[in-house]
Amino acid sequence: MFSTGSNLWLMIWPASWETIYMVSIATVVTTLLGVPLGVVLVVTRQGHIMANKLVNRLVGLPVNFIRAIPFPIFILFVIPITRVLTGTSIGPNGVIVPLSLAAIVFMARLAETAMLEVPYGVIEAAISAGANRRQIIWHVLLPEAGSGLILSVTILVVTLIGYSAMAGLVGGGGLGDLAVRYGYYRYRADVMWVCVIILSFVVQALQNFGEALARKYNRR
Amino acid sequence: MGLIDIIGLTKNYGEGAKAVAALRGVDLSVEAGEIYGVIGLSGAGKSTLIRCLNRLETPTSGQVIVDGRDLTAMSEAELRLARRDMGMIFQHFNLLSSRTVADNVAFPMEIAGRSKVDIMKRVMELLDLVGLADKAGAYPAQLSGGQKQRVGIARALANSPKILLCDEATSALDPQTTQSILGLIQSVKDHLGLTVVLITHDMRVITEICDRVAVMEDGLVVEQGPVFDVFTRPRHQVSKAFIEVVISRKDDSGAWGYVPRGLLTQVLFLGPSAEDPVISEVVRRFEVKPNVLQGRISHIKGRPFGIMLLDLTGAPEDCRRAVEYMRSLNLVVEVLNDVQHG
Ligand SMILES: Nc1ncnc2c1ncn2[C@@H]1O[C@H](COP(=O)(O)OP(=O)(O)OP(=O)(O)O)[C@@H](O)[C@H]1O
Ligand SMILES: [Mg+2]
Repeated sequence: MFSTGSNLWLMIWPASWETIYMVSIATVVTTLLGVPLGVVLVVTRQGHIMANKLVNRLVGLPVNFIRAIPFPIFILFVIPITRVLTGTSIGPNGVIVPLSLAAIVFMARLAETAMLEVPYGVIEAAISAGANRRQIIWHVLLPEAGSGLILSVTILVVTLIGYSAMAGLVGGGGLGDLAVRYGYYRYRADVMWVCVIILSFVVQALQNFGEALARKYNRR
Repeated sequence: MGLIDIIGLTKNYGEGAKAVAALRGVDLSVEAGEIYGVIGLSGAGKSTLIRCLNRLETPTSGQVIVDGRDLTAMSEAELRLARRDMGMIFQHFNLLSSRTVADNVAFPMEIAGRSKVDIMKRVMELLDLVGLADKAGAYPAQLSGGQKQRVGIARALANSPKILLCDEATSALDPQTTQSILGLIQSVKDHLGLTVVLITHDMRVITEICDRVAVMEDGLVVEQGPVFDVFTRPRHQVSKAFIEVVISRKDDSGAWGYVPRGLLTQVLFLGPSAEDPVISEVVRRFEVKPNVLQGRISHIKGRPFGIMLLDLTGAPEDCRRAVEYMRSLNLVVEVLNDVQHG
């Protein structure tokens, strides 16, 4: 028999790494794909620099569709895609795909909201200066929305940590999964408590960090 | 041919039954080196007009010819180059909040692909010109409205344009700051040989710095000409209403209980005739008694003129002849209570 203490940390450490692994990869993938998608949602709006009703609808539709599906169901739903992309549908790698897919559309809407905060007059000033569309996106839209985008990524990471807890469904692991399996099914309150404390501490720290960073870049 | 020729310009917003005709056939010509003012009530189409000049708005029909080239026929790429020859400033400044003052001014030059060294040098020059050299590192949020507009002007001038477009550039500023921004526009115009098109609700902006003015109403230019002429001899109702701000046409003598007994007559003395003893001449020649209710001097672009309000009593025929006589001396005479006297 192991002592309770060593047993506990032997479970917590690998679970923590699984969470960090899943969340960080999903954050990078989601940001790299979600922000551009958000840009498309903004610039194709009516009256914006690349107004295009059709494209806006086409992009907006799956975004709303995916957001409407409860995440556990979504994980099962995309198993075929997960297999193609990572070769497995279980474990941390099996979770990253549904996590990222669901989060991309979430991020796209967050980024869209952040970029809609940029007054259109500022974009018109850039147009009057002779800027082309690429320059407007890179030199006006994204930097002007910078602070809001930092907050969006913060919300994204926190949400990803929460959603990764549902990874247990496909044996994904991680702290949230550990808390559910041991704390709930096996009556190990100590495991559950440690997981909850670590998670809430990390989430709070990330939130504070993100907000501080956003404040630093907010010049408005 | 002016530097800017607007020919038969129309602009509809929307299509079909919901279409709004913002411009309904505007013809205008702006000469190189002048400050051209456009005035009109809200919704008259002023912003639409100025935004057609750099094609922030695409006209529905008509032509905008700038420096001999038709903007309405240009491709996107040609247009971007053409826009570098036109700076624009805005009512709400529209500065990039994430960039410092210096980087805001640098923006149009970065867009144009100029070298870093070039840009730095030019930015300092421009900030000196607008009197903000000490604010180079500040962010727009740390500036006052007047300072923000100075940054806007520096940014608009970055690529050495020939034309400066101002859409209500002083409407968000207090009267004193308005004065200083107008002074700046006038001085950069003189220094750099710019041509300025400016839009405003504010009569004082026109009388302060404009050479010529167009009055717009409901998508049309209803009157245009040199500011002094339009102001002293307005023909259209809208012009008259605007000009009241500068030259009070209202009969406010009633305010102190005065009831005019004869013809309430406003006389504008423009320039030299002000020196002639017109009133005594009128008394000598006609059987009338002018009671002077009001008299003052006003200025349009530094040019003084006198305004006098008279109550002209006497036989109606004599009064009429006295008015005719004053008109023959090239005074602008208007009878304000013509109704009673037929
Ligand atoms: N983007 C737009 N879409 C639809 N209608 C518009 C648009 N912009 C302007 N209009 C309409 O066109 C007309 C002219 O507007 P414009 O902004 O040119 O007036 P303005 O003279 O600049 O008024 P203001 O002094 O209030 O700025 C108005 O009836 C306005 O409602
Ligand atoms: Mg306007």
